Amino acid sequence: MEIEKMTVEEIKKGYRTGEFSAVEVVTYYLERIKEYDEQIGAFLSLCENSALEEAKKTDKKIKNNKALGLLEGVPVAVKDLICTRGLRTTCASKMLEDFIPPYDATVIKKLRETGAILIGKTNMDEFAMGSSTENSAFKTTRNPWDSRKVPGGSSGGSAAAVSAGFTPFAIGSDTGGSIRQPAAFCGNVGLKPTYGLVSRYGLIAFASSLDQIGTFTKTVKDAALGLQAIQGHDSMDATSIRCDITGDYTIHLEDGIKGMKFGLPKEFYQEGLDEEIKASIMSSIQRIIRMGGEVEEFSLPITKTGLSAYYIISSAEASANLARYDGIRYGYRTEKFSDIETLMLNSRTEGFGQEVKRRIMIGTYVLSSGYYDAYYKKAMIFRRKVKEIFGEAFEKYDAIISPVSPVLPFDIGEKTNDPLQMYLSDIYTVNVNIAGLPAISIPCGYSRSQLPIGLQIIGNFYEEEKLLKSAYALEQDLFLYHKVPELKGVV
Amino acid sequence: MKVDVKTINHIAALAKLKFGEDDAERFAEEFKEILEHFNNLDQEDLLHEDRNPANGREASLREDTLETFENKEELFKNTKDFVDKYILIPKVIE
Amino acid sequence: MILETIIGLEIHVELNTRTKIFCGCSTEFGAEPNANTCPVCIGLPGTLPVLNEEAVNLAVRAGKALNCRINTINKFDRKNYFYPDLPKAYQISQFDLPICEHGYVDIDIEGMNKRINILRIHMEEDPGKLIHAEGEPITMIDYNRSGVPLIEIVTEPDIRSPKEAVTFLTALKAILEYSEVSDCKMEQGSLRCDANISLRPIGQEKLNTKVEIKNINSFKEILKALEKEEKRQKELYDFNEAYKIKQETRKWDSGKGRTIPMRSKEDAHDYRYFPEPDLPPVIIKNETLAAIQNTVPEMPEEKKARFKNQYGLNDNETEVLISKKVLAEYFEDVVSYKVSSKEASKWIKVEVMRMLKESENIEIPAKYLAKLIKLIENGRISRSAAKEVFDVLWLTEKTPEAVIKEKQLEQISGSDQLDQVISEAIEKNPDAVAAYLRGKEQSKIFLMGQVMKATKGQANPKLAMQILTEKLGKTEDLKNFSESIDNADK
Repeated sequence: MEIEKMTVEEIKKGYRTGEFSAVEVVTYYLERIKEYDEQIGAFLSLCENSALEEAKKTDKKIKNNKALGLLEGVPVAVKDLICTRGLRTTCASKMLEDFIPPYDATVIKKLRETGAILIGKTNMDEFAMGSSTENSAFKTTRNPWDSRKVPGGSSGGSAAAVSAGFTPFAIGSDTGGSIRQPAAFCGNVGLKPTYGLVSRYGLIAFASSLDQIGTFTKTVKDAALGLQAIQGHDSMDATSIRCDITGDYTIHLEDGIKGMKFGLPKEFYQEGLDEEIKASIMSSIQRIIRMGGEVEEFSLPITKTGLSAYYIISSAEASANLARYDGIRYGYRTEKFSDIETLMLNSRTEGFGQEVKRRIMIGTYVLSSGYYDAYYKKAMIFRRKVKEIFGEAFEKYDAIISPVSPVLPFDIGEKTNDPLQMYLSDIYTVNVNIAGLPAISIPCGYSRSQLPIGLQIIGNFYEEEKLLKSAYALEQDLFLYHKVPELKGVV
Repeated sequence: MKVDVKTINHIAALAKLKFGEDDAERFAEEFKEILEHFNNLDQEDLLHEDRNPANGREASLREDTLETFENKEELFKNTKDFVDKYILIPKVIE
Repeated sequence: MILETIIGLEIHVELNTRTKIFCGCSTEFGAEPNANTCPVCIGLPGTLPVLNEEAVNLAVRAGKALNCRINTINKFDRKNYFYPDLPKAYQISQFDLPICEHGYVDIDIEGMNKRINILRIHMEEDPGKLIHAEGEPITMIDYNRSGVPLIEIVTEPDIRSPKEAVTFLTALKAILEYSEVSDCKMEQGSLRCDANISLRPIGQEKLNTKVEIKNINSFKEILKALEKEEKRQKELYDFNEAYKIKQETRKWDSGKGRTIPMRSKEDAHDYRYFPEPDLPPVIIKNETLAAIQNTVPEMPEEKKARFKNQYGLNDNETEVLISKKVLAEYFEDVVSYKVSSKEASKWIKVEVMRMLKESENIEIPAKYLAKLIKLIENGRISRSAAKEVFDVLWLTEKTPEAVIKEKQLEQISGSDQLDQVISEAIEKNPDAVAAYLRGKEQSKIFLMGQVMKATKGQANPKLAMQILTEKLGKTEDLKNFSESIDNADK
């Protein structure tokens, strides 16, 4: 019984039919993690005891024919920047190495309510700043498809965990592509919902107006289930959606895409895009046309400028969000201090990694007196423009198709010395966050070197139903989701 | 935009970070590159500012009802120096 | 060169909400350290602010009471700076689009009306409190105050003297208290004032360098601090050293009686304001505005005019009554029992105010005070007896009748009773009576004294005198008659 290849849907079915028990499933995953995670490095901490306890409870419920939650008994791995009460939540930073939140994030509460079982916290780029998970203060995660390569970032641990068969379902966060890009690099389905659809309460903030919690799954249907579990208005988050929306995203999932119009931003397919990725996406577009979808090229002239606006806005917000880390109330406190000034200064200097400091510096600079107008103000005005441009596009198209990353998964250590290069690789994802739109990344092919390639579908605000429907149709046609990596040893 | 070590140190002070000489120089270089890239925003037409901050967003308020966070011990468990219900720090001179 | 003083004030007022501005913690003063805290107000990672609607309502009400224009769409911004009392290292405040703008307060300066303009009112969160330990190199932080809703009221530099500043603040405090926006207790920190002061030659339009004064804890201290700083600056002008006045913040040290430069916070002014992304804009609907307008109660000036009109009181009599809304309400309550408004105002001005020096609230029900006043009017008790009863009623739960009976303070006003006592006094003191009849007025007083002695001071003096005089008159007649009979016999 290869549980590691099962989808959430299949596990739920297995519980219903009595094919296996929750304790068996959780034990299976925990053992697999113990066997292979030393090579992969997906997890920062595991919840063995509590996971098994919860699995026992699930089995009891099943035995007593009690009503089961949407994700009853389904293991879930959570990116380590989401607060879990009583469990260390580190953001992969020395700054929060020993931080134990006294409260659960709303998304954790919701997952518990559906019966999901928290299996562990996953590795990430420190404070979600990065595109490779190499900025973690604790360990580097390796791509399960090729251990020399990065899994993408910043939610690399969650993506790798699903790919490697350590869990059927994982939660991550996406500020500029941090779910979609690792999903593409690791060959699974990464969903970033509309900004506001999922509560941010308990998500340790990087950039408040861009952060959004989302899912990693093997299939689009699993993503639909996952979204249903985590979405909804939260009174603790003033930016969360005010009203109730679609509950069940599986209802129209299989409706097909006949007659749907898809836009292809021509600027996204110009120089800089890896040839293999381009070919793979074009091939998928042919499939869409064959299935009855209409595809049309259009102009979306926001790539490079969007990147600038993104880095200005996200760094500015991050510089303020990370100012609270000073060693006084919680977190890392330096041992070298003579007064309050040096306590704060040294705690911050010693507790934060390079990339975090870089972003804080950029953010402080663009907000500082004399530079606000030159950078931040311009970025905010441009942000409104981006929303308008997308708005115009969605008047014509049901969804937009684009690559996720301009490059294939790269070698560990390859880009760490050139921050600007690293930033430029976010070119296809950041504008989605600037606008607040939903987007999904699904595997659409493999390179000659057997590295996964992802395709991004972008939808209009709160149109996750359309988005998932399109992704499902393509996924089913591609029939790639059953492919899993062989976990090779470290080279 | 001139970005030198002096600028880096000034910004670092605002952000309560400290850099050694080498690091500060390296930062200055990286900054310059990144800020130059940001200049591509200038090619956009960004003149008209929208003075309406509401922009389709709705207000979100809560009622003035008491909600007590019961477990104070857990709340301050992460504080390094918590004594007799106070958080302690080296003396602050005002 | 004649100099004039220019003063502008920044007043922070804690709003009278039950809970904090961005979380559900209590705002109650005097709790144990760090008891009124939660993940949000101590800025734990992952927490988010959600705006308290009552804070908005009170801010609007304050704006209306201060004649401001309400910005029905306004927003919050982050004010970024590092200080241990600020958990997030930014204060959520309002920068370029505050909730209220362009209001005013009219005050009375030596019989003339003067308008002090208010530039703006904005909402913000209070930081926590730092307590510096004695004798130890430690500071203690209490975050109970962190997140308490504040409004900051900024005046235009319209004030021209320290005294004027106090007059303005007194008027402002009364207005805010009346509108129930805040309890305005400076000693508890729910009202704090910082002042900006500069001097300039009369006739000059430009404002000179201003100095900010902080750490003023009472209205009395405001007067002293401003006078001191005014003097300091004037002396520099006198010696042609006005250039030495730099834009700085000085701390008022009430012990030393002078202002001291505060430790300069370098880059203190680069707050790097930007719009708060965690909070959508504040949108106040017109219906809400109208509803709040209706909750603005009668303001002190209006009440004063009405009291003079309706109750026939003069300036002096109304002054104390309107100084605190609760006193005005009490006064009207007492008067509603149909007693003299002049009497009621006197009792409140003297006796109630006396007891309020020790008590926080008025501890004698209005109907009891009204009762006492009526009993005096009816002659049932004397004024001094009433004062005694008043004190007991303040300190206990007893009723007026019970106390009067207990202490046997009832004036004897029953004519029969008095009649008897007086007749007895006359009989027992024939010499005094005779003396009186011969013309010695003093003897009547002596006889009164005997009556009072016999009644243990409880005789209604007026009535007793009346009856005594009557009886003595009859005695005179009787004597004359008997004399005439005697004479007739001779």
